[in-house]
Amino acid sequence: MKDLVCNGCSLLCDDVSAEIDGAEVKSLGLCRLGHAHLSESLKTLTASAVIRDGGKEDTVSIEEAVKQAGEALQSAKQPLLYGWTTTSNECIQEGLVLAEHLGGVFDSPVSQGTIQAMSHDIHSGKLDIDLEYVRNNGEFIIYWGTDPTESLHRHPSRFAVLPRGEKIPEGIESRTIGVVDVRETETMKMANHRLIISIGGDSELIEVLTSEVSGKSSITGPVQGIPAQELLSIVRKLQTSDCTVIFYGRGILNSNNADENLTAIAGLIGAIRESGKEAYALPMFPESNAMGVVNIAGNKLKQDLTSLQKLLAGEFDTTLVVGDDALAILPGPAAKALAQTNLIYIGRPGTFTDKKAMISIYSPDVITGIPNTMTRLDNQPFNFSAWTRDDVSEGMLGILSKLNGFVKK
Amino acid sequence: MKLNPMELYNLLPKTNCRLCEAKTCMAFATKLALGDVSPDECPPLLEEGFQEKLEKIREMVAPLQSAAETGVKLDESKCTGCGNCVVVCPVDVAAEPPTSEGKAAMGTATVFRVENGISKIINLEKCRRFPPDRLNCRVCEQYCCTDAIEIW
Repeated sequence: MKDLVCNGCSLLCDDVSAEIDGAEVKSLGLCRLGHAHLSESLKTLTASAVIRDGGKEDTVSIEEAVKQAGEALQSAKQPLLYGWTTTSNECIQEGLVLAEHLGGVFDSPVSQGTIQAMSHDIHSGKLDIDLEYVRNNGEFIIYWGTDPTESLHRHPSRFAVLPRGEKIPEGIESRTIGVVDVRETETMKMANHRLIISIGGDSELIEVLTSEVSGKSSITGPVQGIPAQELLSIVRKLQTSDCTVIFYGRGILNSNNADENLTAIAGLIGAIRESGKEAYALPMFPESNAMGVVNIAGNKLKQDLTSLQKLLAGEFDTTLVVGDDALAILPGPAAKALAQTNLIYIGRPGTFTDKKAMISIYSPDVITGIPNTMTRLDNQPFNFSAWTRDDVSEGMLGILSKLNGFVKK
Repeated sequence: MKLNPMELYNLLPKTNCRLCEAKTCMAFATKLALGDVSPDECPPLLEEGFQEKLEKIREMVAPLQSAAETGVKLDESKCTGCGNCVVVCPVDVAAEPPTSEGKAAMGTATVFRVENGISKIINLEKCRRFPPDRLNCRVCEQYCCTDAIEIW
């Protein structure tokens, strides 16, 4: 067994190991998501490429695919370079350089909620604490609009709910757990407080809690269907816990009033801090390197958040998709518009985007042992290193460098 | 099987005599419900007038005293490999202390270990439900969010 870092999700677990036994991979510590990602990634240890034309598909060399992709991008009136959330920090940097050379637009799925959250006053581009701090100090943990049991499997066991820490000697027994969602979730099974609210009801509930924490007796009856007694019990816990951490997710960001929700959470954090206790908010973005994109390309992305509108308006004639399966994750109309462009894809084989692309370049994932860097959910960098075998071919970074070199010529 | 400490407490003498290790009768009832103590460890309960209640308690806690009547089952199709069972299991924490801090189990001494993305019971005989402990511990079942673990 060899130690590795898993990039199956944004937790980047570094306490896991694996070995390749013939055609089979054996792992220890990897969750179901991580093991599936590793198994799938190990099918691509050698870079390869195909070109499709009129229903015909030809395997070509990397050099030929890079040349044709470079020519298509150079001749484009307006190219879009999209994706990046599952690529390494080095790839993101290379992508920014490529976008500049091409005069194209660099964009990513993080433009839909993530970048707004990280630009909000609640973070202003940085996080106050990391997940190790949560493990050691987090006494009252609230998952708001996020269900780690589905998307970040090991978040509760590694950092926030079950593990023991410096000030959490009994693990779960030393913590109080709250879960707020619009439906019953599996994570609620571990919670002391389970709040099911209506869609869009987040800010109302947060503001009521904030008001009560600040000493104004605003809870006189049920709010969002939650009985007053339950709400007052939560308020008491917010007032007495030495360290409260609110993990917010897509339920907060993708509900049409993300800014209002984030402002409300910031208000609650502020009210708890004013009472002399520690309180923090941390995001729950599942994409393995969403934070890498935010850190490296955030300023550029913030300058123009209209690329999806431009895509819908048909302003892009050629798109380079890197890492993400854009056709699977974009809203329907945007995905349809993307599919109408000349599509070039760099990533793992078998995705919707791959099947629709005129040029697909398949590259080994960093989990197979490409020495690159990614950034964990809490902004901590993690280095990947070689662990599989010596003949893993160049990764995505090498392919992007070649593309950049061709375009520069 | 889950026993309600309150039901057991109502059958006890409620003298808080401190003749057993527990400080109160309620604490003793809680230990009874967990299988940590036997009803025969309560001296007032052995006195005249309590025979019927003693028999009732013995009947209620009997399943906890027999390893043959307990078991732990893990439905791999429901398991996400989250590692909750590994981290929360008291035996695992003692056998491989880093698991108490949320680390994955890497050795062979724990009850649970996540292999190939799924939790496996690799040392069932170490589970505290079995002899010599025979405790009514069910924390793995309690914190398994996908209901993959079942204890009977």
